[in-house]
Amino acid sequence: MHDKTVRRRRAVLLLLVVLSLILLTAYFGEAPGGRLHSVQRGFLTVISPIQDGANKALKPVRDLFGWVGDTVHAKSERNQLVKQVDKLRREVIADQSEKHSYRELLALYHLDRRLSVNAYHQVAATVVGKSPNIWYATVTIDKGESAGVRPNDPVINDEGLVGKVTQAASDGAQVSLITDSSVGVSARIGTSGATGIVQPKVGEPNDLLLQYLPANTQANRGEYVVTSGTVSSSDDSLYPPGIPIGQVTSVNEESAYRSVNVHPLADLHNLDVVQVLTAGGGSLPASLSRLAASLPPGQHASAGGTAGEALAASGSGG
Amino acid sequence: MSGGTSASLLARIAALAVVVVFFQIGVVSEVPVFGVSVDLSPLMVAFVGLLCGSTLGAVTGFAVGLLVDLALVQTLGVTSLTFTIVGYWSGRLRELRDPQAALTPLLVGATASAAAMVGYSLVEFLLGVDAPVSVDLVRQIVLGVLVNSVVALPTWAVVRRSLEGGLPEDPRRRRRRRRAYTTGGLSPLSRS
Repeated sequence: MHDKTVRRRRAVLLLLVVLSLILLTAYFGEAPGGRLHSVQRGFLTVISPIQDGANKALKPVRDLFGWVGDTVHAKSERNQLVKQVDKLRREVIADQSEKHSYRELLALYHLDRRLSVNAYHQVAATVVGKSPNIWYATVTIDKGESAGVRPNDPVINDEGLVGKVTQAASDGAQVSLITDSSVGVSARIGTSGATGIVQPKVGEPNDLLLQYLPANTQANRGEYVVTSGTVSSSDDSLYPPGIPIGQVTSVNEESAYRSVNVHPLADLHNLDVVQVLTAGGGSLPASLSRLAASLPPGQHASAGGTAGEALAASGSGG
Repeated sequence: MSGGTSASLLARIAALAVVVVFFQIGVVSEVPVFGVSVDLSPLMVAFVGLLCGSTLGAVTGFAVGLLVDLALVQTLGVTSLTFTIVGYWSGRLRELRDPQAALTPLLVGATASAAAMVGYSLVEFLLGVDAPVSVDLVRQIVLGVLVNSVVALPTWAVVRRSLEGGLPEDPRRRRRRRRAYTTGGLSPLSRS
């Protein structure tokens, strides 16, 4: 009797471990459109409304916890913001004269067709789920394919770039945050214009690293890093240029390339409402995204100029 | 364990698993403490194992892990694998040692959280995630274990209360109580 119990117990454990390994291997090996991924999307479709309802019902509880934490940090944040406002006011005054000249130059070079956030359709979505572990920096939102959301659509909030859509079901979607190890964003430093790739800093899930900058790049602490409006591979998302990503915290001197540490502007731990930038068929963002996807690896497509410029960029190898 | 009791216990575990996973995703994950989030799922799995034994612990671990992987659109099987082992281990701890100390849930919770995080990290490394072991990663895991330890006792109370009505009477505990009365322990009968 005892032996039978022991055998059954071991058999159950073995069965579950083997089942887990089979699932893991099959899921890891299959394409994003595979059967297990479809099951997962189906599950997401079913639970999205439930998650949405639970999210709304539990919002007061979350707000209560959030309020306690916010109160603790409010004072120091306020002092920082006062300093920041003073600095920005000075910068705005200095920039106002330059803005006029800039507009004239844009018109002169016919760059008014430049891709911007306004060229996209903005879909507001509520964050209904968030991964608790340090490996997956992902959130689930309550808008999906029925609202026009597609994989690779950029996601922003009022503070800056949040991430991109990685999977979309009919009424929900998964968003990989910019701190997810699978996300890389082509970016430039605001003042110097030096471009590189923003990726999560290894071992620091809440910080970013702007890498592959030219060795002579000058960057100062506090400078803003924004999207450059280019893609570095066909898997990348085409983010519109000029979306704030973060602020430079320090510069790493390296031999061939320079890199800078970047602190994200968006508070990725307290995401509540985000905007998905969707592109309708035939629109400028859609055609540029198609162009980017068709590029061979290693070539860059630019969303900063006209479609003709992007084609020229692809023709010259980025 | 009769069929009725077993069905009642399974229903309670299933309901608890669904509530914990949704509460985790909808509320707890949204509230970072010292830069990390409390993860109730491994605690719940470990405590089910501690109360119900290794087989139910492993099955609960697998089911909760699968639910977490499905709901969070993660690689299927990773969380199931780690939680299955956590549930089995805590169940075996009960079957072999049957620890009764008041701080047992805290220690089991901390160990389960550490095992889940380290196991998860190991599987991710094996799957080729580009992140070498760094001091910051270790710090994140240590902080995660500490934060989980803080909520281990309240979680234990909730899990035990939720499953109490469905748990079968444990003959070993009944014997232990009887022994305590006969060796000088305060029997309820002696009070009257």
